[in-house]
Amino acid sequence: MNLRKRLALTRAGIMESLQYRLGTAVTLFANLIYLVLVYFLWKAIYASAGTDVVNGMTFTDTMIYLILATALFNFLEMFVVWDMSRSIQSGKIVLDLLKPMKFRSYTFWSYSGSHVVLFTLTFIPTFIVVMIVTHGAIPMGINLLYFAIATVIALVVNFSMEMIVSTICLYTESTWGINIVKETIVLLLSGASIPLAFFPDGFKTIVEYLPFRAVYDIPLTILLEKNGADTIEGVLPMFGLQLIWALVLTLAGTLFWNHAVKKITVNGG
Amino acid sequence: MENAIVMKNVCKDFKILNRHEGLKGSIRDLFSRDYKTISAVKDVSLEIAKGEIIGYLGPNGAGKSTTIKMMTGVLEPTSGEIIVNGRVPYKDRTANSEHIGVVFGQRSQLWWSLPLIESFKLLRDIYMVSKEDYENMLALYRSLVDIEPILHKPVRQMSLGQRTLSDILAAFLHNPDIVFLDEPTIGLDVAMKSKIRDLIKGLNQQKGTTVILTTHDMGDVDALCKRIVIIDKGMKIYDNDIDHLKTYFGSYRTLRMRLSDDTWEERVIDESKEDVMDVIMKKQKECKIKDIQLQEISTEEVIKKIYGGEEAASDTSAKALEVAAVAADAAASSEEGGAK
Repeated sequence: MNLRKRLALTRAGIMESLQYRLGTAVTLFANLIYLVLVYFLWKAIYASAGTDVVNGMTFTDTMIYLILATALFNFLEMFVVWDMSRSIQSGKIVLDLLKPMKFRSYTFWSYSGSHVVLFTLTFIPTFIVVMIVTHGAIPMGINLLYFAIATVIALVVNFSMEMIVSTICLYTESTWGINIVKETIVLLLSGASIPLAFFPDGFKTIVEYLPFRAVYDIPLTILLEKNGADTIEGVLPMFGLQLIWALVLTLAGTLFWNHAVKKITVNGG
Repeated sequence: MENAIVMKNVCKDFKILNRHEGLKGSIRDLFSRDYKTISAVKDVSLEIAKGEIIGYLGPNGAGKSTTIKMMTGVLEPTSGEIIVNGRVPYKDRTANSEHIGVVFGQRSQLWWSLPLIESFKLLRDIYMVSKEDYENMLALYRSLVDIEPILHKPVRQMSLGQRTLSDILAAFLHNPDIVFLDEPTIGLDVAMKSKIRDLIKGLNQQKGTTVILTTHDMGDVDALCKRIVIIDKGMKIYDNDIDHLKTYFGSYRTLRMRLSDDTWEERVIDESKEDVMDVIMKKQKECKIKDIQLQEISTEEVIKKIYGGEEAASDTSAKALEVAAVAADAAASSEEGGAK
């Protein structure tokens, strides 16, 4: 555990991300278009349902959930799989393997800076806008702290999933298809594109125990104090689920990666 | 003197899938378990003393990069033993990497969009270099090259020469015991090449760093290396002083003759077999010779002869023939091994 090495990587990541101001602006603009689409889609769904409340969520609830999910997605989205496949093809991975840090930790902390920047530049502004527009639909209290903790764990879970998929790609030597499958599964099962409340009951029960939910649904549920998350007794099981998956995936990912690296080092990169 | 690197009978085999031709073949490959073994490095033993600059040469695909990767710990040898700084590199790659530096030709380890100084600071923190050592190193850099113009320039805006220079400086920053330079002068102009050679030489002398240099540029070798190791088809075929190299395959000289039509004719002559005077006399019977020059053979010519392999071997010394024959045998046996 060495903080100096890690924070140096975070610092460099922040500086690198800030170089791409235009990219961030374009992301914000693309989100706006996406959110307009989401708005009309769900407006139509609620209109055809004929009631104000569908699956226990009002139209406003759904919109807040989805807008914040999109903002969260922008900030949590990682490109480990793409970057790794590129660095394997160019052979640059050798240089990363020769850094005096564990590869996994080196990769994680290299990305950390961009998370800090994106959180500040995309999530916080969206959050403030939603807060103002909805006049206090988002509770303001201890839930913000819980949300911050949940988001950090979500980051670790998401990174672990990325690393596992990257490692699979080491074996398959192709990236595109596998990554698209992963993204679709994560977006659907994590609640990032459809709130989990809308899933059919049996399916929902399964999804509630899968790791994907730990990335988007749990932080958002905690933030919005839904499903009993308005008390600490309601929040703790959610943290528990997140932590268990964070540990399991980190452990599995580390073992899998060590095995894969062995293969690279035995059989050439 | 203590050794920085010791390699004993190191071999490295790669297992690769036998690919078949055509669409049918590609579909078959999906389920194929038909692997063949390729020996990239065969029984290489090597000792490198601390503070040496070694020229590590060989034609493309000879096994140079594989050897370097084994020394750095990225690859694990199939058999044999490697000790780098008293450590087995692949067993403890992370610890080993604290004491080595690498520059791989056209790949950069620098942070692309940041000014060079930021990459330096980052490397300083990652390698846990103390403030004092860092300042001393920067002072040393300033005394060797003019780094001010590039220090605050983003790496992506640098010319190839500036970037290579920066990468070399970055590799030396944590004062490693050994630096691996894989084709550092590739694609650079003459002035930049000589600047980089001076820098490498300066750092080697000031810091006593062991340098393993692979290159295809004989200028690098002549300027930097006292000792060279040549590897071809995975086997070490030469390991000695650069001066010996020139006499290794016979005592060669280049004879240049200006003929009556003002064209220069060039011949490489092995003085152990042929007499220079005889060649001139013979030629003079055919036509008039206006001028004669006799030159020592350049390192480049010698290397060209060695890389030429079998065909060159047939008209040079018996030693080279022997080497080529062993290489051919080994290649044949490795193919047999794969067929099983």
